Formats: sequence, structure tokens, C-alpha cells
Amino acid sequence: MFTFVIKYLGWLKPVPLLAHLFDSWLRLISLIMQPQLLQWIDEVEAEVLQWQHTTSTLHKYGGIQLNAAEIELGHIHGNGLVDMLLSRQTKKAIMQEGRISNHHTFKDTGWISLYLKDKEDVAYVTHLFYTAYTNRIKTHISTQNTSSY
Amino acid sequence: MADVKNLIQKVYGFLVPHLFACTVIAINKYTEIGQSSILIFSEFVVIPMLIGIISTWFWRKYELSSGKLTAYAFYNTVIALVLSFIFLGEGTICLFIVSPLIFGFISVGSYMGRGMFKKNDHTLNLSILGLLGLVFVVDSLSEHQYVNLVSDEMIINAPPRNVWKYVVAFDQIKKPKDSYWLFDIGLPSPVQSTVDGYRQGAGRKCIFSNGYVFDEKITVYQPSHNLTFDITRQPKDPEIMGHIDILRGQFILKDNGNGTTKLIGNSWYKLYIFPVWYYDIWAKSITRNVHSRVMEHIKELSEKDTGVHVRY
Repeated sequence: MFTFVIKYLGWLKPVPLLAHLFDSWLRLISLIMQPQLLQWIDEVEAEVLQWQHTTSTLHKYGGIQLNAAEIELGHIHGNGLVDMLLSRQTKKAIMQEGRISNHHTFKDTGWISLYLKDKEDVAYVTHLFYTAYTNRIKTHISTQNTSSY
Repeated sequence: MADVKNLIQKVYGFLVPHLFACTVIAINKYTEIGQSSILIFSEFVVIPMLIGIISTWFWRKYELSSGKLTAYAFYNTVIALVLSFIFLGEGTICLFIVSPLIFGFISVGSYMGRGMFKKNDHTLNLSILGLLGLVFVVDSLSEHQYVNLVSDEMIINAPPRNVWKYVVAFDQIKKPKDSYWLFDIGLPSPVQSTVDGYRQGAGRKCIFSNGYVFDEKITVYQPSHNLTFDITRQPKDPEIMGHIDILRGQFILKDNGNGTTKLIGNSWYKLYIFPVWYYDIWAKSITRNVHSRVMEHIKELSEKDTGVHVRY
């Protein structure tokens, strides 16, 4: 259903709050069909928020967005779909592991997608967020040092 | 003692937002601020979001998981629907239709509130609440008009003169309610149509499965071509009242020249419930299925008259 909606109704994304509405329904379905999924999402969020300079906000197209230094690391939709921005080299390396796929929209970029399907995925997703986080923080520090000169 | 205090705080989180919502809706309905007969977009978007935000303000000291927050949003939705049933007299089908919208925006508000109160940025909180309030007031004062036409057509294996008599009036539809799920869960379906004369100006009645009657007046009577009627009185049903006015119905018959007729059914309605992008989906679907049930019956009767045996 999610794939169908993204493919055929994705053009409705710019309608204010419509994507958030859809994500709320996804969360309700998850609560009924797979309640532990919401707990896994909370665990990932809680872990990421323990790192310095991280925040969580509402993603503009629904879901929880995790940020480092005010820039998005990735987001998690109510059905457990995780979308994350990595470097292209990192993406190419981990694609070979077979656990992630190309982002459903931004294919030729560093964006990846994967579903939280079980407890083991929590640790893996957290590890991927950490990879994205360390890259982001390095860039942030480097930018700050450049601007202070 | 701490447990009791926590419980009271949680209960306030359910009670206070709904008291607020009831107050705002009552002020809007019973003063001249808004157009009291219209259910505006803000009542289904802004108020549910505010319910979510206010609830999470009361629960800000508790680390509520996504699961709990979603479940609490669901409970808030149930409370809102029950209050609408009691105080606004809304019908059960209407409440069913509106429930995904209410739940969705309460949930959005809950997540917004969780973020707002975590940051504890009073300027941000006030500006968000201020913005929502402004949207509500502007929406209340804005003009809301929406009229739509739904048109369906069907080929009938009978000449127009055979179709015409059943277009004007038809005996009871005895067929089961087909596969339209809203009819199956209790939405009244059309069963019969009667007239007090076969002429322009005659009265016509469309009778539904729960006994409700739409009174109509024939405004165009062109045998085998055009039957148009205005709805002069709608039943006082909570599913309809204040939500939709059926304005006019029309049947157009086109002779295909080969013993068949193209029957076109048109209905005009006015919506008093917004946002249109949500409610018109339902209004169109219901109208289409009413057309389908009536036109299928006209087809069956006309073709039987003509001696056409059609396997369905």
C-alpha cells in the first residue's frame, strides 16, 4: 500500500499536512498490526538523540526526522521505512551487504532506504545513522573551522 | 500520592483539550463569528491539531513512546466522536467518514506538541498556537461555497420510449444492495420513485431504504429525452443535515438509433462540510452508487419490457 501511494499519489505530497495525515494512519496500522515496530522507532530515536548536536523534528513528508547540526541525517516513517542520507561511497559499499536498497525517489544519490523489520534492524539502523552522523559532524566542524579563518 | 498526581495529569490531558474544542465550536456555531451552518476545514484540521498539542502539554513530563502517543491520539479521537454524537447530533456514518481525518490531525498535533514541549521554546510554542488560531479565525470568516455535479451513463438495450416510463417512476428495487460497503453498513439506499402526475410541475418522491423521502418537483418533462427535477425537501437525517444539500437530479435519454438508449444520470449537490478535498471523495462515491443502483434497476425493467434477456 505504501509503495502504491508513493508511486501514484506522490504528487499530492506538497498539499500541506496531507503527508503527515498519511503517516499518522501508517502509525495506527503499525500500532494494531505490529506494535513493537513503534517501540523500535523510539529506540532508534532515543539512541540518536544521545549524540551531541542531534535533534528530532517532524519530517516535512511525515515521520520522525533525525538531524545533526541542524541538517537532516534521515527520517523514519510510521510503517518503519527508514530513509537516510549517506555518502555515495558508503552507500555503494553497504549496498553489497544486501540489507539496504536505493531510495524510492532519489536513486542516483547517497539516499538509501530500508525497513525496520525486527529487533536486529534497530542496531543496524542505529549504526547507519551513526555513520551518517560522524560524516555530518566532520563536515560541520570543518565548515566552522573554515569560517572562523 | 505521586501516582494519583500522574493519573490526574493524564486525565486532564484527555479532558481539557475537549473542553477547549467544545467551547470554540460552540462560540463559532452560536455567535455571528462564522457561518454557523457550515462545518469548516478548521474544525476538522486546526481543532484536532490543537487537541493533540494541548494533550501533550499535560503529558510533557512523561516520556511517552510512539505507541502510547498514537494510542492516546486514538482515545482522543473516540472521545471527540462521542462528543460530536451527543452535542452536535452527528450520524454514525458521518462520524465513520470523519474519523480518519480527526485521528490523523490529533496525531499530527500530538507529535507537534511533543516536539514543541521538548524544546521548551516559548516563542516557538506561542507562534505555532498563534498561527493555528489565526488560520481558524480566517477560515471561520471566509466564504465557503461548493457545488458539484456528478454524472454517470449507461447503455440500455431498449428504445427510449421503453426506458422513459421507468425513469419517471419505478417500483421497489428488490435486488440486494450490491457491493457498496456504505449501504452494507447502514447508509440508506434508494428503493423506489413515485410521481403524482406525468407532466412538468408534478411532484415526485424518491424513497430510501430507511423510509426517508426526498420530495421533488419536475421542472423539465420531455418524454424520451429529458427529465429534470428539483429537490424541494430533504429528510431531516443527521447524516445529511448541515452536511449536504441535493439540489437537482436529471435523466437524459439519447437514442442510439439501434434499439438501444444511452441513459445519463446527473445529480447536483452543495457541500456544507469542508475540506472539500476529503469530503467530496465521499459525496461523489455515494452519489455514484445511488445513480448505479437506480440506473441498473431502470435498465433491468426496460430490458425486461423489451423482451431482452441479459445475463448479469
